[in-house]
Amino acid sequence: MKLETRAVILTVFLSFWISSASAAQLSIDSSTIFRVEQRDLGFGDKQKLMPVTQFLGLDAEKLADGNLSLHLYGWGRGDLGDKSYNDDKVDGTLTYGYLRYRFNSANADIRGGRFFINQGIANEQLDGVNLRTDLPGGFGVSAFGGAVVHNKNLFGESSDGKGDYLYGGRFHYRYARLLELGLSGVYEADAPVLVHYANGSHRAVGLDIWLHPMAAVELIGHTSYNTETAEISEHSYLLNFKALPGLLLSGEFDEHRDRDYLYSWSMFSGAGLNPADKSRSTGGTISYALNSKAILSTDYKHYDRQYGSADRYGGDLKLSFLENSLRSGIGYHYLNAGATFAVSGNPSASYQQLRLYSLHDTKGYFASVDLLGFFFKDKIYDTASDLEASLSLGYHLTTDLAISGDVSYGRNPEFSKEIKGLIRLTYNPVFSGKGEKR
Amino acid sequence: MRLPPLLCGALLLIMGTMLAACAGMRALPGLPESHPEALAVGQQVSCSECHDDNQKGSLRPQASFSHTPSFVKNHRLYAASDDRLCAVCHKSSFCNDCHAGKVEIKPSTKYGYRPDREMPHRGNFMTLHRIEGKLDPASCYRCHGRANNERCIACHR
Repeated sequence: MKLETRAVILTVFLSFWISSASAAQLSIDSSTIFRVEQRDLGFGDKQKLMPVTQFLGLDAEKLADGNLSLHLYGWGRGDLGDKSYNDDKVDGTLTYGYLRYRFNSANADIRGGRFFINQGIANEQLDGVNLRTDLPGGFGVSAFGGAVVHNKNLFGESSDGKGDYLYGGRFHYRYARLLELGLSGVYEADAPVLVHYANGSHRAVGLDIWLHPMAAVELIGHTSYNTETAEISEHSYLLNFKALPGLLLSGEFDEHRDRDYLYSWSMFSGAGLNPADKSRSTGGTISYALNSKAILSTDYKHYDRQYGSADRYGGDLKLSFLENSLRSGIGYHYLNAGATFAVSGNPSASYQQLRLYSLHDTKGYFASVDLLGFFFKDKIYDTASDLEASLSLGYHLTTDLAISGDVSYGRNPEFSKEIKGLIRLTYNPVFSGKGEKR
Repeated sequence: MRLPPLLCGALLLIMGTMLAACAGMRALPGLPESHPEALAVGQQVSCSECHDDNQKGSLRPQASFSHTPSFVKNHRLYAASDDRLCAVCHKSSFCNDCHAGKVEIKPSTKYGYRPDREMPHRGNFMTLHRIEGKLDPASCYRCHGRANNERCIACHR
């Protein structure tokens, strides 16, 4: 029996068990989406896709002594027309499903089951256990371990290139509201040998920092080290300067040694990349809240790679009216990039991006319009632009239940005409509760 | 079996330290399970509107977590140092709409009625990914490197 099937049976069983426990707080959220998409592939070839997807989440709080909770989330899909994108007309997954016991002090908790780890340099999905707690003196510790959640097998291989288990953790020290230093690591079992790809084991350690020397200044970021290649793989840092109320100046710096950072990315044979290759990006954002109804931001980023450099700059304006029920935005960006970044054969990868959207959400209906255009300096597949216009219209049947429909029309280098539509039924009680999570 | 005196002493010291640490931990504050007040949907949340000091259980100023454009763009750095503070307001599924082992629908399609939300790959990203992937492969790797590779494998063979 597949894991997903077992998870559905377990979910039904647990739902009955939880609903019988009078003190438990049960919350279910659901989205049912029926999509209709027709693609004109050219030369008379057409595709008609009609997938139905059910997203389902369950959160049961205050179980047992009140500190135990259960969290489940996943989706299932069935194709009523042509296959959506993979080999099966039916598909699904358990995104996460775990029990959590939360202690009343020290931010301590234990999680067991399938969950995501996002701590320090570790960014993993596993079937296992995670223990976290703050310690006296400003210290804190987290440890995790378990079976790796595998992805789809690589083409022509019998694995996804990942090892079968992993463990790791993060140890941190916080000093007042000035400084936090973290040391984290992840160790995955030996990567399997692949026939067509160069892959390596996923093992790294890293240091992360948060520094807040004065109210207006904040530095946050991390550096990671690949223990397999014995090289620093990544620097990623953000510096914020709050110059005036509402005015924020941010500087970003990211640098990756391609082979060391992408070492365990089997799909692109990361372990086989040139050790000398580097990617670096530096940039900044200036954002200013003109008032509670308008935020203006401009940004710039410079990219450097071994075979060239590029620049991207632009700005966004976000507006909010009628007690935030009417929200609009407009944005423009320009990417100035040469032939080395272009779609093969093109002399330039430069393009302009323009976006305009607006939405109105009332207690009854909600509606939105979204216009997005990319305008290429040099045509891609003989097409000068990539355009998409989307409309959405919905109605709140109750506070928690809403029905909505979207339709979009696009023309782009991939499809001479792309028409998409969907109908969506959403049950989401989290918006009605006081302070409940979303 | 008799343990050497030095080992007994070391074990007693470790146990004593652990007991003292546990006793000390009981006095440490913890974050609340959830935010006590409902927050407005679709607003760039500004924590400092209400919090002018550090949150109980978190030794950081609340202003650090205000959802400015820069914060939204770089939220991974904040989440990586303490996602328990994120979890006060957000369910895990909020993150997993984009960050998951297997994403079924592009987030901007799933939430087509929320064009105000920052979502990756709006529009037809198939064309653009040929440019963006060369420009900044690390940005692809963060979400698709060790997870969520099903669509990639359809072409990248």
